Amino acid sequence: MERQAVMAEPTVDGQVIKACQHGDRDAFRLLFEAYKDRVFSIAVYSLGDRAVADDVTQQIFLKLFSAIGQFRGDSEFTTWLYRMVVNACHDERRRTKRLVALGPTAIDPPRDKKPQETQFARQEIAGVVQSAIGQLKPRFRVPILLRYIEGLSYEEIAEVMGCSKGTVASRLNRGHTELAQRLAHLRQAF
Amino acid sequence: MFSNHVTNELSAYCNGELSTERARDVAEHIMSCVRCRSRCEEIKLGAKLAEHVPLETAPADMWAKIESALEGQLTGNIPAPPLPRAWFWRPQFAAITVAVVAVILIGAWWVLRDRTTPPAGPSWQVATLNGRPTIGSTRITGQGQLGVGQWLETDQNSSAQINVASIGQVQVDPNTRIRLVQTQPTEHRLELARGQMSARIWAPPRLFFVDTPSAVAADLGCAYTLVVDDSGGSLLRVTSGWVALELKDRESIVPAGAACQTRPGIGPGTPYFEDAGPDFLNALADLDFQPNKPAKSRALNQLLQRARVKDTLTLWHLLARVDGEERRRVFEKMTSLIELPTDVTRDGILKLDQEMLTKWKDKLEFYWVGSSVDPKSIKDLKTADPKKF
Repeated sequence: MERQAVMAEPTVDGQVIKACQHGDRDAFRLLFEAYKDRVFSIAVYSLGDRAVADDVTQQIFLKLFSAIGQFRGDSEFTTWLYRMVVNACHDERRRTKRLVALGPTAIDPPRDKKPQETQFARQEIAGVVQSAIGQLKPRFRVPILLRYIEGLSYEEIAEVMGCSKGTVASRLNRGHTELAQRLAHLRQAF
Repeated sequence: MFSNHVTNELSAYCNGELSTERARDVAEHIMSCVRCRSRCEEIKLGAKLAEHVPLETAPADMWAKIESALEGQLTGNIPAPPLPRAWFWRPQFAAITVAVVAVILIGAWWVLRDRTTPPAGPSWQVATLNGRPTIGSTRITGQGQLGVGQWLETDQNSSAQINVASIGQVQVDPNTRIRLVQTQPTEHRLELARGQMSARIWAPPRLFFVDTPSAVAADLGCAYTLVVDDSGGSLLRVTSGWVALELKDRESIVPAGAACQTRPGIGPGTPYFEDAGPDFLNALADLDFQPNKPAKSRALNQLLQRARVKDTLTLWHLLARVDGEERRRVFEKMTSLIELPTDVTRDGILKLDQEMLTKWKDKLEFYWVGSSVDPKSIKDLKTADPKKF
């Protein structure tokens, strides 16, 4: 499948994972650096609060480091990791019954405030898309995040979510449709 | 006929997750089913929007917090396992490792020295049909990969075929220079600098584009050939479905059996059926590209005299490209050939009311698409089965 541009392939291979399993702290650091932004992104979009997402991401990595010995390589490492991320976010939502509605406080302020029109337009679009994704129900939001932030195939998403490929396709259909309907006014921008 | 709608597969289709065969079936269904086409457009927009979701950056101090928590775990008598040194780091293996790697690298170079280096990012498969086309600066034989930003060039003795992701094929004729600009689930784009290509696409509308020096060809579900000459002008011939030629606000919609020319600095001309006859075609060329106003006026007279029913394709596009008295004359010629739909008015068309223009076009399309028989009279048209045209 074609991966999205935002997804740089991590420089984590079997050797790094093996080193992590032997408790190599430098390897842990490498693993963390490779996946921290992607894990944190899923947490922010899922939970709608950067501070909570920060805590949950730390918990995920701590759990990952203590549980990585159990990873046997039966599935892709990323599938195993994202299953842990999705479950952690699900547990946190259930624990706090948090209402997710991403707003300006949940997202990073624009880093470049120079008056460049295209940059501004891109940030504007990214901002409203972020907000619209935050308003989707979790069962439609998660496959969208796994697809467009993590670049997973339908098969990989199905494995992470523990459902069939057909269910993934159906939920993505619904997610795409809701995004298009909520942001129909941006149609001309494409 | 439409008992098997494909709405459940549209996201998978737009995301390139269907097999080639299934994608083709879905594309064919979409082309003939308004409901699925409309849903597909919506899902495609949703997918394009989702592509803009930005990656969030984790707080800079996160590792320090995690490391501190790990230290806490360690001091809490959870010992970390010893850190074994990997075997290949031991000095006695270093020389052997270097030698083995060198042998493998030399062997790989020897085996692969004649092959094209595959590009790092997304790419399309290219198959040589004749001769040795080049990708970048490398001549290929057999198969190669065309990466984003790379040029594929054929000389007078070579030609090639490109697989456009999983949505179609493009044949590249001799003496052609073509570049892969972008390939994403929601947009695939080539640039044709010169030469000739033929495309057959089975994707939903507006997924495949070809940039030329004087217009952009947007696929609306079709097969076509596109030629770009040395001056940057181009000629589009559509063999099935529809293609839109666009430059800024100027758009020409070209159905199967019709053609359209473009010129640098002007953009797409007016589409036409090539069997319209030399007088009609010469007049249209003057009208589209001749800067002299009296010559344009003479050309319009000639064109209106020669126009047949299916030439309403040309006349409908001209409505928005001429004004005042000339627009009124085009309108009257059209109504002498085909009646206005009941909910479309003369006043609305002359004021270029978009809704009315579209309604009239919807009716006219009936006579443009697949019209291999030229009706002899309006009476024939009104009484005959429209499918015959």
